[in-house]
Amino acid sequence: MTVKSPRSAPYTHARTSIGRTMGLVMLALLPATLFGFYQFGWPAVFLFASTLLAAVLAEALSLRLAGKPPRPFLLDGSALLTGWLLALTLPPWAPWWIGVVGSLLAIIVGKQMFGGIGQNLFNPAMVARVALLISSPLEMTLFTAPAPLFSAQAPGLVESLTITFGNPVGFDAVSSATTLGHFKTELGRGVTLDQAAAGTASLWQLIGGEAAGSLGETSALLILLGGLFLLYKRIITWHIPLAMLGTLALLASLFHLLDPDHYVGPLTHLLSGAAILGAFFIATDLVTSPVSLRGQLLFGAGCGLLVYVTRTWAGYPEGVAFAVMLMNACTPLIDHYLKPRIYGRDRKGEPLSYTEQAEKGGNA
Amino acid sequence: MAGKRILYPALLLGGFSTLATVLLVAGNLVTRDAIQERQREDLLVSLRQVVPESHYSNDLLADPLQLPGPDGTPITIYRGIHDGQVTALAYPISSQGYAGEIRLILGLDATGKILGVRVLTHAETPGLGDGIEVAKSDWILDFNGLSLGDPPQEKWKVKKDGGRFDAFSGATITPRAVVKAIENGLVFYRQQKTRLLEAPLSKGLPVVRVEGALHE
Amino acid sequence: MSSDYRRIVKDGIWDNNIVFAQTLALCPLLAVTGTASNGLGMGLASTAVMVASGLLISLLRNLITPQVRIPVFVLIIAVLVTLTDMFLNAWLHDLHKVLGLFIPLIVTNCAILGRAESFASRNHALPALLDGLMMGLGFTLALVILGASRELLGSGTLFANAALLLGSWARFLELVLIPDYKGFLLIILPPGGFIVLGCLLAGKRLIDRAVAARRRRALEAIDTPAGEAAR
Repeated sequence: MTVKSPRSAPYTHARTSIGRTMGLVMLALLPATLFGFYQFGWPAVFLFASTLLAAVLAEALSLRLAGKPPRPFLLDGSALLTGWLLALTLPPWAPWWIGVVGSLLAIIVGKQMFGGIGQNLFNPAMVARVALLISSPLEMTLFTAPAPLFSAQAPGLVESLTITFGNPVGFDAVSSATTLGHFKTELGRGVTLDQAAAGTASLWQLIGGEAAGSLGETSALLILLGGLFLLYKRIITWHIPLAMLGTLALLASLFHLLDPDHYVGPLTHLLSGAAILGAFFIATDLVTSPVSLRGQLLFGAGCGLLVYVTRTWAGYPEGVAFAVMLMNACTPLIDHYLKPRIYGRDRKGEPLSYTEQAEKGGNA
Repeated sequence: MAGKRILYPALLLGGFSTLATVLLVAGNLVTRDAIQERQREDLLVSLRQVVPESHYSNDLLADPLQLPGPDGTPITIYRGIHDGQVTALAYPISSQGYAGEIRLILGLDATGKILGVRVLTHAETPGLGDGIEVAKSDWILDFNGLSLGDPPQEKWKVKKDGGRFDAFSGATITPRAVVKAIENGLVFYRQQKTRLLEAPLSKGLPVVRVEGALHE
Repeated sequence: MSSDYRRIVKDGIWDNNIVFAQTLALCPLLAVTGTASNGLGMGLASTAVMVASGLLISLLRNLITPQVRIPVFVLIIAVLVTLTDMFLNAWLHDLHKVLGLFIPLIVTNCAILGRAESFASRNHALPALLDGLMMGLGFTLALVILGASRELLGSGTLFANAALLLGSWARFLELVLIPDYKGFLLIILPPGGFIVLGCLLAGKRLIDRAVAARRRRALEAIDTPAGEAAR
C-alpha cells in the first residue's frame, strides 16, 4: 500500500466523518454476514434483526434521557455497528432475548454510561458479549452445525420463528461444538491432538465457513477480505491486526512444535473462532485502542497473547472478547507511556528549542 | 518529660493489647466447646445425606479410620456399624473439574453399593456446571444403588465417551470429572475392602480420635 | 440540643450515608449483597459493632492519647468483631452459616474506624451511641436496597432465606417475584454490584437535586411573583 498523498497535512480535508467510517465498516462486514445468513438460515436473520433494532432503540432512549439531540447521533450509525458486531459474535440460533439484552448492555452500560460515542473505555459489543457469556452460559455456548438456507436440514420460516422467538423443543439434535470448543473438551481429557482433530472441521471447512460457530465468525476468508477492504480504505492500519494475529500464530507455532500432541497448531488458531474478526473489526475500534502506532503494535500483541493464553490454559475455549476487553483497560496506560510525538516537541511534550521564557509561555 | 510523653502511650497501647488478649482468650474458652459441637453436627448432617440412618446404629463420627488414598494423601473414613459389623462407609473423594477441584463425599454400604454422593465444594461455572449440586438438579441422585460391577467399570463414563451416564446439557467436563471421582472412590473400596470392613477394635483399647477433616 | 440529635439521625440515614454519600465500606457491601437477606444480616451485624465501638471509644476518649489512637481504635473494633464472630458461631449457628465469611469482613469496614475517629472520639457517650446506631441503620438501608435490587434482577426473588436469618416468622418475606426466571448471573457477581451501586448513587443524586429544586422554588415563590421561578 503506497501513500499517495500526505496523510497528516494540516490543510487538506480528509472527507471523513463518523458516519462514513461506520458505513464502510458495515460494508466490509456485509459479505460475511450474508454468508452467515445463508449458512444458518432464518433464525440467524431474526436474531440479527432483533439485535440491531434493540441497539438503535437503546441508543435513542439513552440520548433522550441524557438530553442530547437524537438525530445526529442516531444517524452516525455507531449504534447500528455495535449491534451488528454483537450479533456476529452470538450463536446464530440463540433466542431473541439474548440479542436484545446484549444490545441493551452494549449501548447503555458499555457506551452511554461512559458518556456516549468516543467516551467508552471498553468496546461495547465485547462488554455485552462477556456479560452474556457469564450470565447465560447455556444459551451462549449452544452452537449449531450449519444448515444452509433452502437445504433439506434447514428449518422452515415458521419453525425458524419458534427457534428465535418461541420455546424451541427438539432442536437439540443439531447442536454441535465449535472447533475450539471441541479441541478444549477433547484435549482436556487427555486425548492426543490427532485423535481430537478427527471429530471436527477441517481447515478448508474453516476457511469456507462450514463449521459450527457464531453468526459471523465462520468464514475466515470473507472476514479476511472485509478486513483487507478496511485496510485499503484506510479506516484501520495494519498494526493491530498484524500484531495480534502474528503473536497468536507465533505462540501457537512455538507450542505446537514443542509438543504437537497437546497444542493446537497455528492455522487452526488463526482460522477458527473470532481471531480474524477480532483482529480486523473489534480490536481496531478507534475509540478503545491506543493512538500511537507503537502503542497499537503493543496493544495488538497483547491481544494475541491473551487470546492464546485464554484458549490454551483458561476455562473458556475462546478468548477474543476477554483479550480485547483486558487490553482496552490497558489502553490509557499505553497511551500514557507511548504518546505520539507532537510536532515541534520532544517525546515528553517539551518544546524542542525554546528558551526558558518561551517555554513558560508555551505551557501556560 | 520526654520519657513520660512516650511512656504513657506505650503503657496505654500495652494495656489495651493485654485487655484485648484477655477478652479474646475468655471468649474462646466460653465458646470453644459449643463451636466444636456445632461443627460435629454439621459434619453429621453431611454424612447423613450419603449414609441413611437406617444403615447403622453407632455414632458415625466416633473412631474414624485413616488410610492412604490412591495419591498417597490420607483419607478419613467414617464407618457405620451395626451388631459389630461394618455396614456403611463414608469418605471424601475428589477430582479436577472444569474450574478447579470438585470435592464430594461418597457413601457406600458394606457390599460397595452407592448409598449416596454429594458435592461438598466446587468452582464450576454457575448455571452450567453446577447441576452437580443436589439443590440445582437431581442428576447426582442417579448414582444411588450403583457399584463398580453395575455398570461394569468400562461403562463408568459419560455417554459421550461411550459410558452409561448422561451429561447435562451444555457441560461435559464437569459430569466427566464427577463420574471419574466416583469411579476412583469405588476402586479405592475394592482395593482396600478388607481393611475397610474390619470391625473396629474392641472398646477396651484406646482409639485415636481424628477430628473431622471434611469441613473447612 | 434536640436539633443536634435530629442532625445526627438525618446524617446517618441519608445526608451523610456511609454508602450513598461517603461511598465507604464497598468491600463488605459488594461481597454480601447478592440477596436482600444477606444485606440485612450484614447490616445488622455491622450496626451492632458500630454502636458498641462508638460507645466504648466515646467513653474512653479522654484516656486515649492522639499518638496511639488509631491502633487502639483498630484493636477495639477487631476485638468486638472477633467476639461477635465467636458468639454467633456458638449460639446462633444457622445465622453464622449464612453470614459465615462475611463477619470477619466487618473489620474491613473502614466506615467503623471512620466514625470512631471523626465522631465518637470527639463526642459524649449518648450522641456517639446514636451516631453509631444511625450510621449503622443507614448502612443497613443501603445494603438492603442494593441487595434487593440485585436479587430481583439477578434471581427474580426477594428476601430469599430470610427465615434462616430472622426465624421462621419471616417466611412471609420470601417472595418469588419472577417465577421460572433463569437468573442473570452478572448482577449477582461483583461487577453487577458495581453497576447497580452506580445506578443507585445516580438515583440518590437525582432525588437530592429534585428536593433542592423544590425547596428553591418554594423559597422563590415567597419572594418573587410566580412565573419567574424557572432556572
